[in-house]
Amino acid sequence: METKNRRVFLKVATAGLLAFFVFIWNKLTLNHIATSNSQEATLPLNKNKEVQFFDRFIIVNSDNKTTVFSSHCSHLGCKIDKMAEGKLVCPCHGSEYDLDGNVIKGPAYKNLTMVNSTISEDGKSIIIKG
Amino acid sequence: MAKKNDKTTFGTLAVAMFWLVILSGILLAVPFNVESPYLSVSSMIVTNPWAALIRNYHYWSSQFFLIFSLIHLYDHFHYKENIGLKKGLAFRLSIGVLIIFLAMITGFLLKGDSDSEQARQILQTLAERVPLIGESLAFSLLGHPESYQLIYVHHIATFTVFIAVIMIEHSRRKYWPPVLDFVASAIGVMVFSYLFSAPLHDNLNPAVKGPWYFVGFQEILHWLSHPAWSLLLFLVILVLLYLVNSAKGKTVFLSKRSLLVFTAFYLVLTVIGLFFRGERWQWKNPWQENYSYEVLNNFKSPIVKLTPEFDLGTAIASPVIQGRKESCLACHSETHGLTDSHSPEAIGCVSCHGGNPFATGKNQSHNNMILIPGNLATAPQSCGTTQCHPEIVERVPTGLMATLSGMISVDRFVFNEQDNPDELANVHHLGNSAADEHLRNLCVRCHLGNPKTEYGPVDESSRGGGCLACHLNYSPEAEIALALAKDSIVNAHPSVSLAISNNHCFGCHSRSGRISTSYEGWHETTIEARQMPQNDTNYRLIEGERVFVKKQQDVHHELGMECIDCHHSYEVMGDGTLYTHQENQADVQCIDCHFDGVAKTIKAENLDNESAIIAALRLGNISDKEFLVTGKRNHALVNTFVENDTAFLQTKNSKIKMVLTRPAEVCTRSNVHSDLACSSCHSSWVPTCIGCHNEYDPNEPSYNMVANQEQTGGWVEFFGEYEAKLPSLGMRTEGEKTEVIPVAPGMIMTIDKSTYTDDADNSTIFHRLYAPVAPHTTTKEGRDCKSCHNSSLALGYGEGKLEYKITNGKGKWSFSPLYQRDVNDGLPADAWIDFLQTRTGKVATRSNVSPLSVEQQQAILTVGACLTCHDEDSKIMQATLNDFERQLQKRSSACILPEWE
Repeated sequence: METKNRRVFLKVATAGLLAFFVFIWNKLTLNHIATSNSQEATLPLNKNKEVQFFDRFIIVNSDNKTTVFSSHCSHLGCKIDKMAEGKLVCPCHGSEYDLDGNVIKGPAYKNLTMVNSTISEDGKSIIIKG
Repeated sequence: MAKKNDKTTFGTLAVAMFWLVILSGILLAVPFNVESPYLSVSSMIVTNPWAALIRNYHYWSSQFFLIFSLIHLYDHFHYKENIGLKKGLAFRLSIGVLIIFLAMITGFLLKGDSDSEQARQILQTLAERVPLIGESLAFSLLGHPESYQLIYVHHIATFTVFIAVIMIEHSRRKYWPPVLDFVASAIGVMVFSYLFSAPLHDNLNPAVKGPWYFVGFQEILHWLSHPAWSLLLFLVILVLLYLVNSAKGKTVFLSKRSLLVFTAFYLVLTVIGLFFRGERWQWKNPWQENYSYEVLNNFKSPIVKLTPEFDLGTAIASPVIQGRKESCLACHSETHGLTDSHSPEAIGCVSCHGGNPFATGKNQSHNNMILIPGNLATAPQSCGTTQCHPEIVERVPTGLMATLSGMISVDRFVFNEQDNPDELANVHHLGNSAADEHLRNLCVRCHLGNPKTEYGPVDESSRGGGCLACHLNYSPEAEIALALAKDSIVNAHPSVSLAISNNHCFGCHSRSGRISTSYEGWHETTIEARQMPQNDTNYRLIEGERVFVKKQQDVHHELGMECIDCHHSYEVMGDGTLYTHQENQADVQCIDCHFDGVAKTIKAENLDNESAIIAALRLGNISDKEFLVTGKRNHALVNTFVENDTAFLQTKNSKIKMVLTRPAEVCTRSNVHSDLACSSCHSSWVPTCIGCHNEYDPNEPSYNMVANQEQTGGWVEFFGEYEAKLPSLGMRTEGEKTEVIPVAPGMIMTIDKSTYTDDADNSTIFHRLYAPVAPHTTTKEGRDCKSCHNSSLALGYGEGKLEYKITNGKGKWSFSPLYQRDVNDGLPADAWIDFLQTRTGKVATRSNVSPLSVEQQQAILTVGACLTCHDEDSKIMQATLNDFERQLQKRSSACILPEWE
């Protein structure tokens, strides 16, 4: 009886300790992400270019409007770095988007994520709040 | 050994591999730089062959570790019905399998190439989609997106330690493999490492794939719109592994069977992923175009050269190209002659020439090299790679210079194989009809897709050549170097630039419509080369056999303008739309520069990227500049600009700046000639050809211009007369709009189809077709009034005597032709229509072009009647330009107007 209680206690304690560490780990990681990811990116804006590919962003200029999308495919996050036949195409699994970020061809089914941005006063750079 | 293996079921080999992985990993840590993994790995390969060897060793030992671990697993399942491990150990073993894959994939990520970067994104996305802890898990596994630190830590410590612990625990504390297994493994891996290099993507090839063991998974992901579900697959496999190891009875059997079925299924997916998927994961069969480039490229695996065929010092000093080292520059360190944007320091060699940048021997480096880049078949792999000019390379094949649509369509029409001459066609889709064979024998050499196969500058004998057809230039040094080069490295490289001269266009455009020669003032004759007057500057020999005589050059040529000073990049390289004929693709019009009224302009900041780059390369700083825009399709003319309300053109190559003149008042002041194209008045001559005959000779030595090979049997052309004449006038109708345009006798000809062996139609075809022309013999002054109003040639009757006679107070026009009437249709040999008649049906090489109507001829000849007495500069004739009817009413009794029957 005593042995059983001790075993149960040890099991519970181990599980608790594990849960505690998972809790701490989750907390510290999320805090770290929050502190390290809150940066703004300033990128050069070239209005002459209809589509500009950057590491994390795609800037699309059309109809006097500048839109910034995340360069990550909504399917599995691959970086989209190419246009083909006027469409944005994902190199990994072939998803296609139009220049408004809408999915034209799967496997992706969500549109590209639009990112908030503001254009600098001189119009030569764009500040992205990614 | 065999006996031992039965007992250990390849486990000892896996242990041996594990220790080899550890050993090679420790050595690899010395040259590896986690801050720039791709550069450090490529530097190892190029500048440190021993490091490259140990990298291969690390790679191959880890691959074999995985393979033997999996075989070990399978063998256990195979030989033992119930394994019956304790639950804790079985659980840890299942997790261990997952950790082995994580250790493998982190190793794959640490090479930092484009395969790795995309795999990292996929891993991150999948980890993020684990419920509750996804975000933390993804970050803890992969760290900050721009850093490889955490991945490295997990690879060398977290996962490795875990694998070691599990391995030792489950092998009942056996740390070391048997010596024989260890030695055999070490030697075997060494042989592999020497012969086959570990993969590294060149970051240029568009096909992106994960490691071989996850390619099947990539195939699964490609089918899943919600890839998070794939995580369940992992979970199911781990549970099955756990059950096989720990459960009893039927559960074990079912679990084993499930795993077996899954493994078989996964193997099929892996084969599909490895061998049948290309760029953008599109299906690719081995017999499809570019299979080798898109699919087999992943298997590039050069042998290690411990003593490379170059000086290591040069390799170390070579520049970093787009984040990597290229071995090419270790030998080709002195290459020069390219413009800044294409210099080896900027884009290396592989960007254009392909080959293997990570091989260190000549043969291996040059394997699959593109010796002459820019040919359209390989342009997507060179000029058109992602970082370079993908949009242009995609566009060029749609342009007329690549499709030859008009030429093909008209030819088929003329051979009566097509009802109209305006069907879209493509030189790559020629069949076996009489017309298509005719095209193959005589016409279709001049398309951009015809590959350039020999080194050397573009000259008058050049045809095709893709991007190089226009953009290649040899400096004198490069030409000398080419002549001397034999098995030695050529350092003087030809340039690839925007310096496109008339000579680039000349090879193709001096034929057929002969625009290049007409523009420069040369007219082709039927004189043979040996009959050409010697030392007479009025004659020019082209391609050693065609004799040209001097005529009036185009006024733009006289001013120093070249072809590209009018024709912009979207006209020449296509704009992505398929057009049937030249006049459809042509965008620039006379009035774009010689405009009346307010200039149509675009500011520099609003230019499209291509025009902005070209303008900046040609003009320097373009900010604040305002460029003229074409009226037809709104493309910028980047060598024209407006300064202080005056429009200028600056020639692109020679930089001559000139004021753009406005049209003369006579052109714009009234509506009398408003429906005339500028070129119908402002052309001094146009080359014409009449009396041509075509027949097929089955014994004639001939040429197939598509396959570029000699053949027996082909179409033969017997040409008639070449003459330089003022163009005739025709009507072009587009919708509601009609326009008077210059036309010329393009195809007054017979075709004997009966001689074409494959053709059942035995008829001889006769055609009397005029063609719309763009003469490119522009004059500043327009042609005089009589050259149209009193000219049988202009009206379409052909050469002859056109007379206005007044007898008994009655005026009457009459015409006697110079040429005899043709037996086929009774019209004079050079005529389009009979005197004061018109024709319909098959009359021109376009559906929308027709001769002048009888009413139009009468109207023109009525003015012509006036001009027989009144000088064109006379007050009366000048006044008719404002109001002809009024002048007619005011005419004196001496003025006799023509009467028509």
